[in-house]
Amino acid sequence: MSTNRAARRLGPFVGLIIIFLGGVLLNGQIFLSLYNQLNVLGRVSIIALPAVGMTLVIITAGIDLSIGSLLSLSTVACAMLLMERSWTRATSLTVPIFILFAMLVGYYLGNQLLSHAGFDRRKSRLAGVIVGLVLAAASGLWCSSQVSTGFSTIAVLLTVPVLGMFLGAISGLIIAKGKIQPFIVTLGMMSAAVGLAKFIAGKGGQIHPVYYQAAGYTAEGTAHVAPRSFDMLSGHLSILGVKIFPVTALFFLAAVLIVHFTLTRLRFGRHIYAIGGNEETARLSGVNVDRVKTLVYGFCGGLSALAGVLYCASYTQGKPDAGATWELDAIAAVVIGGTSLMGGRGTVIGTMVGVMILGYLGNILNLQEVPSEVQDILKGVIIVGAVLVQEGTLLRWLRGIRSKHPA
Amino acid sequence: MNPLLRMESIEKEFSGVRVLHGVDFHVLPGEVMALVGENGAGKSTLMKILAGVHTDWRGTILLDDRVVHFASTREAEEAGIAIIFQELNLVPELTVAENIYLGREPTRFGDVIDYPRMNRMAQEIMDDLHFNAPVTIPVSQLRVGRQQLVEIGKALSLNARILVMDEPTSALSEAETEVLFAVVRKLRENGVSVVYISHRLTELSEIADRVTVLRDGYTVGSNLVKDTSRSELIRMMVGRDFQQFFVKEGEPREDIVLRVNKLTRTSADPPRMPVFEDISFEVRRGEQFGIAGLLGSGRTELLEALFGAAAADTTGSVELEGVELDLSSPRKAIGAGMALITEDRKGNGLVISMNVEQNLTLAALRDLVWFSILSKTKERALAEEYVERLSIDVSDLKNPIETLSGGNQQKVLLAKWLATRPKVLLLDEPTRGIDVGAKHELYIHLSELAKQGVSIVMVSSELPELLSICDRIMVLRSGRVSALFDREEASQEKILSAAAPAA
Repeated sequence: MSTNRAARRLGPFVGLIIIFLGGVLLNGQIFLSLYNQLNVLGRVSIIALPAVGMTLVIITAGIDLSIGSLLSLSTVACAMLLMERSWTRATSLTVPIFILFAMLVGYYLGNQLLSHAGFDRRKSRLAGVIVGLVLAAASGLWCSSQVSTGFSTIAVLLTVPVLGMFLGAISGLIIAKGKIQPFIVTLGMMSAAVGLAKFIAGKGGQIHPVYYQAAGYTAEGTAHVAPRSFDMLSGHLSILGVKIFPVTALFFLAAVLIVHFTLTRLRFGRHIYAIGGNEETARLSGVNVDRVKTLVYGFCGGLSALAGVLYCASYTQGKPDAGATWELDAIAAVVIGGTSLMGGRGTVIGTMVGVMILGYLGNILNLQEVPSEVQDILKGVIIVGAVLVQEGTLLRWLRGIRSKHPA
Repeated sequence: MNPLLRMESIEKEFSGVRVLHGVDFHVLPGEVMALVGENGAGKSTLMKILAGVHTDWRGTILLDDRVVHFASTREAEEAGIAIIFQELNLVPELTVAENIYLGREPTRFGDVIDYPRMNRMAQEIMDDLHFNAPVTIPVSQLRVGRQQLVEIGKALSLNARILVMDEPTSALSEAETEVLFAVVRKLRENGVSVVYISHRLTELSEIADRVTVLRDGYTVGSNLVKDTSRSELIRMMVGRDFQQFFVKEGEPREDIVLRVNKLTRTSADPPRMPVFEDISFEVRRGEQFGIAGLLGSGRTELLEALFGAAAADTTGSVELEGVELDLSSPRKAIGAGMALITEDRKGNGLVISMNVEQNLTLAALRDLVWFSILSKTKERALAEEYVERLSIDVSDLKNPIETLSGGNQQKVLLAKWLATRPKVLLLDEPTRGIDVGAKHELYIHLSELAKQGVSIVMVSSELPELLSICDRIMVLRSGRVSALFDREEASQEKILSAAAPAA
């Protein structure tokens, strides 16, 4: 039992070291070069965000199959919001949800503030409603100003993740209140979100490119371009002209830190572990199981949509199938990182390591010019192998072989 | 007579901790051998070694004077050893018959299950156990006590030469226990040896021929049961003398804390039959209020309803200190000052994936946070306070909860709920599966709490326990209150006749 625990905790790190050393041995200088390292980090950071959200979901003993679709939807919404100057299907979807979200946040803040200050329930609720309406009105005005000028970078970074959060939370709410298996609910969301992405993209799901220079493509002849600052999302932090860190990796790092803090230091995090460990015990211990689940799936959806925005910046397009099968990569990273699909155990640091293992693996195989079909096969072997090692099964098998065939 | 089974100098370690220090255990052919000892004495571990569950141990096992070392439960079964474990190992969705023959289904035409034959054989076994129901119903529709009968039937179906029963009666009613004893006697007549593990010492004189006592991983001794008194047994088990029966001290105060008014609950699934109806009672401050009744009388369901765990199915009202209790969720109930220690420690009491400290503080986190950020120092202090107060035996608070013995796990649960500083403490079979010493300690703690003004509502199947520690005892029969006794007028006979279904 205790060896399993150690294997679970340390296994991912050992795996990362082995893979890294393998990279050094096989490709030496090229692998170690700053350019290559930054390239790997930048590439994995986008898929890393949904993997971080997925960690929380899996610790509650759930699963979220919709993250790839939510990511696809977000790339399309993001590209359209940036490039269009009129009311489109993308704005019809994003803006009302953002206003609704602002209203809910306002209600929560107003209500909490007054009830903490000792006011009675009715007055607190009233305050909540007032703050909610004010925030809703303000966000409505702000959004409409954004629509007429084209969304700014800040605006897409706010509204698009909220869209993902909203859809994720719907999954969570149905899972919690309907007592339906997460697999089924998120499978439904997976299908629905892709449909939605194709629908708002129009013409059966066309690709929406993002331009930074007017190229005369537009009907009215006006300069329909994305703000320059949006391009920075796909760039690097640099000192004296030397690139030192991809911007996408900053989001990755921030997400890991926030989730790590949540899991280890917040009551909310403890509740997540309790639900995954034994949901009935958690409920009987006063954990608001429905709320925690809704928030966890909402958070996962939000991170997926944020990844969609970063994808849009990196690949300069919104694509209705951008994130197809990404949910599998995210699950793979979480599992390689030592989080148990049975729930109740796992860490986000492990997931970070899992993401890096998969990233380096792809990088090394690319440098070795291994064809991508073979890469996929190897990836599959590694995923299953990692879990066999963590569960101690491989060790047991080896022991069994040794005892049956003594040397 | 040569022993059928000889286990000699058995040693076993769990991650470096020695739990068996050379235990000797012999079983003669056709005898009922009782195996007793406090929690953590090593009884279950010893039997798991015999059954091939644990395979890494030192020592010798001789079966029919031949050395054996089972590598799997399958091998042990083939050698004629069957075990009924304390924890139920049934597949809820499968029928009684399918569970009994799981993995050993009789087949015909190659691999087609011969259902008629399987059902017939299973029905014969279960009829002997007075199961009184078709074996074609799913196990999930049975209550715990009835499921235990299925486990027993499964073991009997193996036609074992040695049958080990680990606390078989802990979930059984008196009537079911009688039937089980009859089965055990019949097995003995047929030459089967039975190893019988129990915490209910009074049962032993009724059923066992000899008794072996374990303490802290050592064999204390083996005796004929008829030559061993109860107090002698307890002394062997705990290694010291102590008062046999605990008697509650202190009197409840006058003011009423809990007032239950016409509480009714229907089953969640259609047909919505009443689980209990029209239950009204009052509990005073510092009172120890007992609830007796047979399995299925609605005792557990009543506690759940009082705790807000059955919101959708419950009508009626509950007042706590004069304020109506919001029964919509356990969270609200906890906030108002209710606490519930459930019967099923593993199922809905503990979180097995969490450590001792996390289990202990789970219900009291609201006192340990500053804007939702957990204070690790406060958490540690709270856990240490209760480990000290309840003298929980744990070397490191970060240890997994599974490494604790049953009695200590139960103490962690008590600590978990005391940490919420409840006004009313609800307990469902709190002494099920824990040893004499741990029981005695629990009685002292409950009495101490009552003195401090906590009201205690306790469901128990062990009548002597209720009679010795409760101020009043309410009896349920088929979901209705059939009697309410003060401690002076209550007796085992009166309670039993009030609990028995009307003919």
